[in-house]
Amino acid sequence: MHQRMELLPGVWLQGVRTDRFKSACLSFSLLRPLCRQEAALNALLPNVLIQGSARHESLQDISRALDQLYGASMGPLVRKCGEIQTCGFYLSFLEDRFAMTGDRILEPMLDLLREILLEPLLEQGAFLPAYVEREKENLISTIESGLNDKRAYADRQMLRAMCREDGFGVPRLGEIEDVRAITPASLYRHYRRVLASSRIEIFYAGSADLTALGEQLRALLRELPRESLAGLPFAPMPRRPEPQYLEETMELTQGKLSMGFTTGITTRDPRFPALMVCNALFGGGLTCKLFQNVRERLSLCYYVSSMVYGAKGIVMVSSGIDTSNYTLAKDEILRQLEACQAGDITPEELTAAQEAICSSLKTVPDSVGRMEDYALFCILNDFPLEPEAYRAAARAVTVEDAAAAAREIRLDTIFFLKGASQ
Amino acid sequence: MKVTNYPRLNERLYEATLSNGLPVAVLPKPGFAKKSAYFVTNFGSIDTAFQWNGQSFRTPAGVAHYLEHKMFDLEGRDVMAEFSAMGANPNAFTSYALTAYYFSCTDNFEKCLELLLTFVSTPYFTAESVERERGIIGQEIGMYEDSADSQVYEDLFAAMYQSHPVRVPIVGSVESIGEITPQTLYDCYAAFYHPANMMLCVVGDVDPEAVVDMAERLLPGSPHALALRDYGPPEALTCPKPLVERAMDVAMPTFQLGFKCPWPGRGAPCLRQQIVGDLAAEALMGESSPLYLRLYRQGLIDSSFSAGYEDLPGVALLSCGGDSRNPEAVRDAILEEARRVSREGVEEDLFNRLKRSALGRQYRSLDSLDSTCFRLCAAHFDGVPYLEFPAAYDAVTREQVEDFIRQFAVEEHCALAVIRPRQEEVS
Repeated sequence: MHQRMELLPGVWLQGVRTDRFKSACLSFSLLRPLCRQEAALNALLPNVLIQGSARHESLQDISRALDQLYGASMGPLVRKCGEIQTCGFYLSFLEDRFAMTGDRILEPMLDLLREILLEPLLEQGAFLPAYVEREKENLISTIESGLNDKRAYADRQMLRAMCREDGFGVPRLGEIEDVRAITPASLYRHYRRVLASSRIEIFYAGSADLTALGEQLRALLRELPRESLAGLPFAPMPRRPEPQYLEETMELTQGKLSMGFTTGITTRDPRFPALMVCNALFGGGLTCKLFQNVRERLSLCYYVSSMVYGAKGIVMVSSGIDTSNYTLAKDEILRQLEACQAGDITPEELTAAQEAICSSLKTVPDSVGRMEDYALFCILNDFPLEPEAYRAAARAVTVEDAAAAAREIRLDTIFFLKGASQ
Repeated sequence: MKVTNYPRLNERLYEATLSNGLPVAVLPKPGFAKKSAYFVTNFGSIDTAFQWNGQSFRTPAGVAHYLEHKMFDLEGRDVMAEFSAMGANPNAFTSYALTAYYFSCTDNFEKCLELLLTFVSTPYFTAESVERERGIIGQEIGMYEDSADSQVYEDLFAAMYQSHPVRVPIVGSVESIGEITPQTLYDCYAAFYHPANMMLCVVGDVDPEAVVDMAERLLPGSPHALALRDYGPPEALTCPKPLVERAMDVAMPTFQLGFKCPWPGRGAPCLRQQIVGDLAAEALMGESSPLYLRLYRQGLIDSSFSAGYEDLPGVALLSCGGDSRNPEAVRDAILEEARRVSREGVEEDLFNRLKRSALGRQYRSLDSLDSTCFRLCAAHFDGVPYLEFPAAYDAVTREQVEDFIRQFAVEEHCALAVIRPRQEEVS
């Protein structure tokens, strides 16, 4: 169903043709190794580019063009997946057939993308200082406002501590001091280098013919410089000999507990589906052990859940608890993990976990956004399974497979954001 | 069944009203694996004072939300586990005006629908289970109290309204939920969870007749008189407090600014004001407005800024918010721009573009099965046929939008809620 083609060296288009939706989507991603030296530059770049091009000089000109295209959207997109950082744009727009007779939307959107990408507004061989400075400020405030969501903050601090010596510890948007150090000239140099040396992934879902779309894109991107491509790292998170414990205090009603575990099982590992089933029954699903015990049985929290970072083989548990219940909650979470490791898993728990994964995979084709997300997940994680094959693999997981995966889940780092009321 | 075709949207809606008074709507989506069902009651956090069956009730804040949590209990059964075993995703939420129970699934749709209709129509509350929930909801309340985004929104409503219950947080407080007993829940259930006060909506590749047949079989009974709600005395259009501030652990001040508008009532005026209000927000301070660009360039707003219009029974407002180092300056600039627009009007060209853009986004939003399903319900309670929005957009004029800005985007109707970082706390 998906078609994949190389348009130019290292420039790939993956697409799916469908006429079931009113909107189409197109994402454009430059793939970079996630590292301290360039994370902030990559995060800033699409935000500056979208401020204006040589033809649409201001944000208002671009907004006007998008309004005219029936409220199309084109937003900067910065992703972190394992040790890969992507920067680029996400375009979402009405299908041509819903526009007034004769109006076209896809073609002008592609033109706009090319313009934003390849014809930036320049002044003396660099980006406009006013645009760069403003977007630096905005990026810094976005990073700072990460503090407002305490749950996300606790999780981020935990990952930062857990992966201090690993690329994965670098935050998605970079560090504030690195953003501060960027100049219009340094960003422009980076832009030239990134454009030439990055693998590029374009994803499209919509009603256009993919071969024709490929030709259109190839023509539009013919001026794109191409050199040898930057390598992309991929390695599981190494084990720590002894777990580390960190805490921080804020004036909060509720404490936030974040726990990181290593597994050694990444998306490339054949045991990955078993790890996902194990995660679903441990802390990922609605009726998982953590929800049933930490929340329902002991009333210790409102939220408790676990998730997997597949490219690194990391499992993370986060929960919001009363500060005085720290030991109770932490011990109960670890006790539930031990239950999984011991194979104390009922057939109902296993089925529910498998059904949750399969049901979610079945609905991937029901949304252009989900299709984009799944395709990029596979591309960035080097994950070989189409939804169908992944479903079969999840169904085949036994209690023993899930327990074996659980035995690979080992505590690495605990971060506790303590609440201290005035 | 009533069948309505919407050729511009390429959709077909099936509607029926059951003998018990329950409205049912089905929007078939051939070829989609996902099926989404919403069972919604017209009962939200604002419905704490009401008359029903000849009795007056005053219930503790947060009761609608508490009831939502407890509805999932069925004697001797585990609703979550049953949904889970079928690979379905059930959930629920409570807003100011509504409580929604829903699931999405791919297989076992009929069994899932049966379970949804069964658990929502079977109240089962014991002293012990109600007590156990208090700890969980207490933690949920704590979570919202720590969230600047929730707080600033609640603060805005408290600043704008004198007595309307929208002033009170949806979840209530640890003190108010302390007063909730099984009897409170049974009373509210009896008053608001009868079919004529609810709506069932399904979006997905399903047979509309089968949905209606099942609902008819599982939900017998006859229509019941609706509860009479008391939202307090009529509100003036002025705000009791023009400015409220509080300090929290945030990096940058965050704000919400609201302009009080008269409640349009239900039906056609409601839909018209929703569209006019949204376009007014866009023209005055939306991303394509001249003001937005100016504020963005001055660094007074960033991409977290958004603006819009919303209404609830007895409540309507134009609002905007986001992070800003100087929320008062943003407010002043918006008031100044509103004065300019009131004098000079909205450019014809800008108005047409905004209308086309808003309409295009509405079309696109129909791609989300879940949100379409909920919107069909919410629109029903507003007395609005949701899928008729294209014609409603066509009918809206520039003059209506200008009038709206002239009348309501004024200082007397305006309130500002600000959350500041703690270190800025001076006294």
